[in-house]
Amino acid sequence: MAGKSKKKSSKGVMQTLRSRTTYLIIIILVIGFGAITSRLAYLQTIGSSYLQEKAVEQQLRDTTISAKRGTIYDAKGKVLAQSASVWKVVLAPAYFENNSQRKEVARGLSEILELDYKDIYKKTKQKSYYVIIKSKIESDTRDKILKFSKKISKENKKLSRVIELVDDYRRYYPYEDLASSVIGFTGSDDQGLEGIEYQYDEYLTGTPGRRITAKNANQTDMPFQYEQNDDPKDGNSITLTIDETIQSIAEKYMKQGIINNNVINRGVCIIMDVNTGAILAMVTVDGYDLNNPYDLPQADLDAIGLLPEDERAEAESAALSAMWRNKAVSDTYYPGSVFKICTSSMALNEGLVNDNSTFYCSGSVHMYDYNIGCHLRSGHGTQNFFQAICNSCNPAFIKIGEMLGRDRFWNYYQAFGFSEKTGIDLPGEADDIFFSPDGSMTDLNLATASFGQNFAITPIQMITACASIANGGKLMQPYLVQSISDAEGNVIKNMEPVVKRQVISEETSKKMCDYLERNTTQGGTNNGYVPGYRVGGKTGTSEKLTSTDGSEDYIASYCGFAPADNPQVACLVFFDKPKGGVYYGSQVSAPVFVNIMSEVMPYLEIQAEYTDEEMQYVDTVAGSYIGLSTEKAKSAAEKDGFTVTIKGEGDKVISQIPHAAAKIPADGNVVLYTDETSESELVTVPNLVGYSVSDVNAVASAYGLNVSISGITTSSGSVSITQSIDAGTQVSEGTVVSVRFGGTTIVHD
Amino acid sequence: MLPFAEVMQKADVNKFYDEKLRQSRAAQNRQKTPSKGSHRRPKKIKTFMRGMGLDLPFLLLVIVLVVIGLIMMFSASYPVSYYEIGDSFYYLKRQLIFAIIGVAGMIAISFFNYNKLHKLAPIFLAISYVALIVVLFAPSQTGVRRWFELGFFRFQASELTKFAIILFFAHWGSKYYEKMQSFKYSALPGLIIFGTTAVLLILEPHYSGIVIVAILTILMLYISGMRVIYLIVAGAFLVVAVLIAWATGLLTYALERMDGWGQALEYTTPEMWQTTWQTRNSLYAIGSGGLFGLGLGQSRQKYLWLPEPQNDFIFAIVCEEIGFFGALIILIIFALLVWRGITLSLRAKDRFGKLLGIGLSSQIGVQVILNVLVITDWLPNTGISLPFFSYGGSSLVMLLLQMGIVLSISRTANIEKQ
Repeated sequence: MAGKSKKKSSKGVMQTLRSRTTYLIIIILVIGFGAITSRLAYLQTIGSSYLQEKAVEQQLRDTTISAKRGTIYDAKGKVLAQSASVWKVVLAPAYFENNSQRKEVARGLSEILELDYKDIYKKTKQKSYYVIIKSKIESDTRDKILKFSKKISKENKKLSRVIELVDDYRRYYPYEDLASSVIGFTGSDDQGLEGIEYQYDEYLTGTPGRRITAKNANQTDMPFQYEQNDDPKDGNSITLTIDETIQSIAEKYMKQGIINNNVINRGVCIIMDVNTGAILAMVTVDGYDLNNPYDLPQADLDAIGLLPEDERAEAESAALSAMWRNKAVSDTYYPGSVFKICTSSMALNEGLVNDNSTFYCSGSVHMYDYNIGCHLRSGHGTQNFFQAICNSCNPAFIKIGEMLGRDRFWNYYQAFGFSEKTGIDLPGEADDIFFSPDGSMTDLNLATASFGQNFAITPIQMITACASIANGGKLMQPYLVQSISDAEGNVIKNMEPVVKRQVISEETSKKMCDYLERNTTQGGTNNGYVPGYRVGGKTGTSEKLTSTDGSEDYIASYCGFAPADNPQVACLVFFDKPKGGVYYGSQVSAPVFVNIMSEVMPYLEIQAEYTDEEMQYVDTVAGSYIGLSTEKAKSAAEKDGFTVTIKGEGDKVISQIPHAAAKIPADGNVVLYTDETSESELVTVPNLVGYSVSDVNAVASAYGLNVSISGITTSSGSVSITQSIDAGTQVSEGTVVSVRFGGTTIVHD
Repeated sequence: MLPFAEVMQKADVNKFYDEKLRQSRAAQNRQKTPSKGSHRRPKKIKTFMRGMGLDLPFLLLVIVLVVIGLIMMFSASYPVSYYEIGDSFYYLKRQLIFAIIGVAGMIAISFFNYNKLHKLAPIFLAISYVALIVVLFAPSQTGVRRWFELGFFRFQASELTKFAIILFFAHWGSKYYEKMQSFKYSALPGLIIFGTTAVLLILEPHYSGIVIVAILTILMLYISGMRVIYLIVAGAFLVVAVLIAWATGLLTYALERMDGWGQALEYTTPEMWQTTWQTRNSLYAIGSGGLFGLGLGQSRQKYLWLPEPQNDFIFAIVCEEIGFFGALIILIIFALLVWRGITLSLRAKDRFGKLLGIGLSSQIGVQVILNVLVITDWLPNTGISLPFFSYGGSSLVMLLLQMGIVLSISRTANIEKQ
């Protein structure tokens, strides 16, 4: 080319143009277009699936729709736990255009949600479309948020997408602390953390739904048909065997027992249907408010406050887990004398003892250098088998244990289910602590075990064994859940009672029922008797497993069942560390047992059979006499069986004490007021404690007060123990004072 | 802009060309020996191919690209248009008006004798310089000064520059064709014009404009006959510069400044992730299309994922909606247009027409290649629009007027030649 340059002809230039244009075409169309075509071919074939995946990943919005957690009902269909709609406040700070918008929204939200302004402001700085500001807000707060969102979007349309409310659910427990250790609670993600909520979490939870939509880069949905909905499946509902009424009764008296006896370490009450093993009530007092499970009682907070700062967190979590702990299944204790019903059953079932067997008690037994004393130091002397039970005589039971021998004792121990978990449908059930896991023991071990000491079982094991003695010898598996139904209410699972094994014969069971019934009426177990009902039961006072401060701590318990001729329910009451002066089962637990049973039995429609003596103390209810003329009211009240006191000068009754439908003894005194001045007349309640029934009645009528009598009145030595209205209180004439009576003899077991 | 009104006044345009062509034919015949031309076809002046005498295939290809471009621009733009302006048809309406103006202008220009531009070339170059200087004093948008705001539309100064460069070097190359071997008449003016233009474009700044001006300058000088050695020397200088930059570490810095070029899919820093957002979403769109596409109008990436899908990255949406095969058809149409434009220009009666036609046609191909390289992350994201597709009224009109010049050239070229 260079050589031609000097004589460059028009033609040569033309040829250069042609050839260079050819190269140009090659460069542009072959190389250039070839490159971009192959690049596109690569991206749209080999690279396609990866890129497509990435594209879809950013385009699709996968929203989880919470499923509603199932409801927990009591046996009568009352709601114990329920999920209700709440909302989650979500911020999409990426939409903010400037700091003044951020400040405005942060200020508004901090005011409505009562949160720290600075924290929210920090969140508004994030370059995100999903920042959770607050979870589980209620509908009134939601309305405020909606109003605020409307206001700011009016000012600037772009801000309408900044605040979003996401549907959620929150758990509510209408009965607050009722059966708290049984029901349990849920965590922030609606997951069960304790009790039934934990145990049945998979049934209650349901399946969250999903909504998959195509979204644009502003995170709002694309306006075309790209939506896939997977509806949430709400959780199943659970019906418990727990009956709210029975549970409430038990909790009421257990709380009273805690206060009256200054119980340090909480108390347990279990009420079981002896024929099925269904738990009608399971109480650990004090419980906690399920709606605020992380709130410790003030006493605990005070104690924690005294600790050095670095120990507080640990102490707090320890206090919380102690508070949540279901003592009825998770704690073990020495059953003490209550266990004697098992030892008795073993011996009876083996035919080792009968009504005529006699046992001698000198007050103590000497074994292997150990002196095992009877609670009655002077000794019970010679006693037959039934008397030994009534006396709760340790030397007698050591003898019975000896007759059984270690192998048989261990076999029965296993048969009664003490060596295994009961399998109750609750988390955290504890194992027993026997002398050795394989059942081997020394004679000394056997001797103490015979009267319930030195081995530990759980309360649920004890009542299950007691139920088997009462129900004809069948060891049942205790259970709390009656049925599970789906969100539409169709029952999907019904629990059937499970008989684990026949432990003792029906005859033995019958015999034990008889003994234990007579134990409450004739024996020393004064305070276990429930007027009008045939109750069988046994007290127990056991030394505590761990006594840290050297002082002797006790567990006072009572285990019984009713009616003795056809047992329906069993009830175990125990208080851990009563420090109120008295600590025997007969003093601490038996009165609580009686109170509970005397309300539970009528509720279960078990017919009362009062003795004639008791009949006169049975309460009735007052009629309404207000508005009647004085004369008419007087005759009406007298016709109802009451004596009548008329106060005032008026000719019409304007009020009455006791009020209409209030409890009043059948032969009680109704005071009718006819004018207002008379209404203000008050009487002072006298001391009614420490008297016999007749004395109490006499004193009360002298003051113009009514007395409602409860407790043991059949025994000759009955004295009044408590009165419902303290002496010295000013009350209207005719007011009903409840007085409870009890026996004077106390079994110190 | 162009004095074609005068031409339009001529009653018989065909006659005007007839006369001119006859004259040139006669001149050629005089030079040629009869023996050389003996085996050729008899001299027969086929005045027009069809209709008005312009190249119908080229016209058709342009019209087809304009129509497809409008459809795809509408499809790509309506979500953005809807979300940001509130009117899904906003971009379509405007582009349609400019397309009509452009096509009308193109037809009108095709009647105009392009030879008039020969003398106007230096004037155009001067106008281009003035525009590049004046635009530096235009109101800035986010620190970039590239456009003249002209009320209804805005005009990019470099659009004029690209045309002026092609026109000037066509003028230069045809005027001094005998001296193109010398440095003084080829590489030197190239260096001067490119250098000065590049400085002005750096001030805007408009880097992709520099790249295109460089390519067009080299392209025009190359076909004009400039010695290849100068290109080799220039290339060698470039390689040495890059090597020095690499050795001194400046290259790394420069590449970092290229806004994550080639790293759109790799996450390095949040800032970089944001910077490569557009390129990444372009790749997502292209990949999502696969072989057959999601269907016309079915792009998902245009829903605000791919920013400004109606502009430089429109072809990514095209790839997503009509797939590789659809994109391939469009590329083939572009290739045919370039091919037809170059080949018909080669048959122009004079050197100026040849150079001008080849330059204008090649420009389309160069822009398509650069555009696709950008949207596929093989070139830095520098703002090179896709001819006939990307939204932008002034560039579409400018483009169509240039196609009008090619058509004007085609009128002289479609005589069957020796």
